[in-house]
Amino acid sequence: MSNWNVLWKFGGILLLAYVIVVGFGTPLQPGLVEASPDRLVPGPVTLELHAVGQPFADEVGSTDGHRLILRSGTDLIDTRLIEVAPHRVQAEVTIPEQMPSPALDAFLFTPATGTLFLGNAFFVEGAGSGPVADEFKAKAPDERSPDLGFSFPYQPNIMESIRNLLWHVPMWFAMFFVMGIGFVASLMQLRTDRIEWDHRGEAAVRTGLVFGLLGLATGSLWARWTWGAWWVSDPQLNGALVTVLLYTGYLILRAAMSDDERVGRLSAVYNVFAFVMLVILLMVLPRYTESLHPGKDGNPGFNSYDLDNSLRAVFYPAVIGWGALCYWMYTLRLRMNRAEHRLLTK
Amino acid sequence: MDTGFHSTVRTARTVAAMEWTLEWRQGHQLASVGLFALSSVYVAFQAASRGTAPEAWTAMLWLVYLFSGFTAVGRLFDRERSATRRYLQWTVEPLGLMLGKLLHAILTTTALSAIVLGAFVLFLGWPGEGVRTSLVVLAAWLGGVSMTTTLVFVTAVASQVQSGGSTLAAILGLPLLLPQLILATRMTTGALQGTPWSILGEIPLFLAALSAGTSVMACILFPYIWRA
Repeated sequence: MSNWNVLWKFGGILLLAYVIVVGFGTPLQPGLVEASPDRLVPGPVTLELHAVGQPFADEVGSTDGHRLILRSGTDLIDTRLIEVAPHRVQAEVTIPEQMPSPALDAFLFTPATGTLFLGNAFFVEGAGSGPVADEFKAKAPDERSPDLGFSFPYQPNIMESIRNLLWHVPMWFAMFFVMGIGFVASLMQLRTDRIEWDHRGEAAVRTGLVFGLLGLATGSLWARWTWGAWWVSDPQLNGALVTVLLYTGYLILRAAMSDDERVGRLSAVYNVFAFVMLVILLMVLPRYTESLHPGKDGNPGFNSYDLDNSLRAVFYPAVIGWGALCYWMYTLRLRMNRAEHRLLTK
Repeated sequence: MDTGFHSTVRTARTVAAMEWTLEWRQGHQLASVGLFALSSVYVAFQAASRGTAPEAWTAMLWLVYLFSGFTAVGRLFDRERSATRRYLQWTVEPLGLMLGKLLHAILTTTALSAIVLGAFVLFLGWPGEGVRTSLVVLAAWLGGVSMTTTLVFVTAVASQVQSGGSTLAAILGLPLLLPQLILATRMTTGALQGTPWSILGEIPLFLAALSAGTSVMACILFPYIWRA
């Protein structure tokens, strides 16, 4: 094994090890996820807000420096914090008789983790429309943006599952990559009619299919968490499913034939067709139709995830690591194909 | 065998005419497709004799249409398995042959969509008020065309396999047809519910683009299959 081989194979594995450790070990920035009670009426009430991610206090205790402010329209309503726990705050507030909007946004100012926001946290029933009386009004404290260190950004709905970005997305990238190798191999097969290209095409499709299935599985998990269902009807998902079925068809087509030369020619023709369909289904059609999948306005990729620097520092290694692993698997399958051919034609 | 644009077009026309003539001469093929379509529609009618929702109407229409399409196109390359094939290989340019087959498949689909849609309206009637008839017809025709152009390619590949070619065509064809069917059913249901052209307008474009794309791919790749 040459030095270069050692480098990319073990480099890839090291990158993946880094991705797994850092990807799961990095804390998530805090975010408010839940507020109760969800219906309020004018008068005094105790509110409770829950958060995920990095704790904003080490333990239950002092409320110093913390503030919770509610916003109705452009008016701010003050509250009095009773308790601050690592992932929970309790506050007392008197809901005024009139306010500009019945929907209240919550701002939680914390010394350690900055300002946390939850839109439409509460809904007030039975309050009149009008400006908030001065006695209830609050002044916004100075914005603090403390350094949270190396942490992943909080996104509503996605929350901790943002780590799946390091699995799901690079797996599809690896699938595209290796299917691209298969496409080139099939084109070469049609030009030259050499069995070597057929070995390469088969190895590529088989490896790509594994990554396609992994991409579907991780995507399904993510869909369950963020959209509430294991599978939804969506252009991007339909395209992904059809692509996997298409390449399964490639393996069925090969299995239905026995004569080597015919297998090579026909499966190369089918593979070229399949790859063009893959590009249309996964990269062209979803851009022109509405999709739940991130990037519906043009790019079904990861751009809309406003990748921040800490996420980038793990995401790019993940892309390279999964790609290297995928390519390694492809070369192993290729060697198997060659060996099998040599044994059978001896 | 001479090549060039005019001769390719001439070949395509001749092949399509030959297919058409043979279809009529061997009447059982046409009759079997018609019988399949009509009896399926009748089953749908029995299952939904008290009327259906637009979604169910669309589902039944496309299931009948899909399998009729398989029956009609699935045998398109059967003749090219035997001695006829050797003769054609020497005399006909593959591109012209493919174009001829595509042309024939499109004509067959046009007839088939008329039969299936006509039978549906005759037996089941329209599901509800405010149906945009012209859009339904367009959906059925364009969806059918994009379905058959894909099927022609799949059948061409599957016909090269010695045994079980038609089963293989169905196995390979169904996943390939999913995108076309998703678009076509969405457009049909929309048209049945009276959705205006301005909202459904891009679906026919997608369907036309898909048919054009698969046809071009079939034409580029067919010579390689044919040479085998």
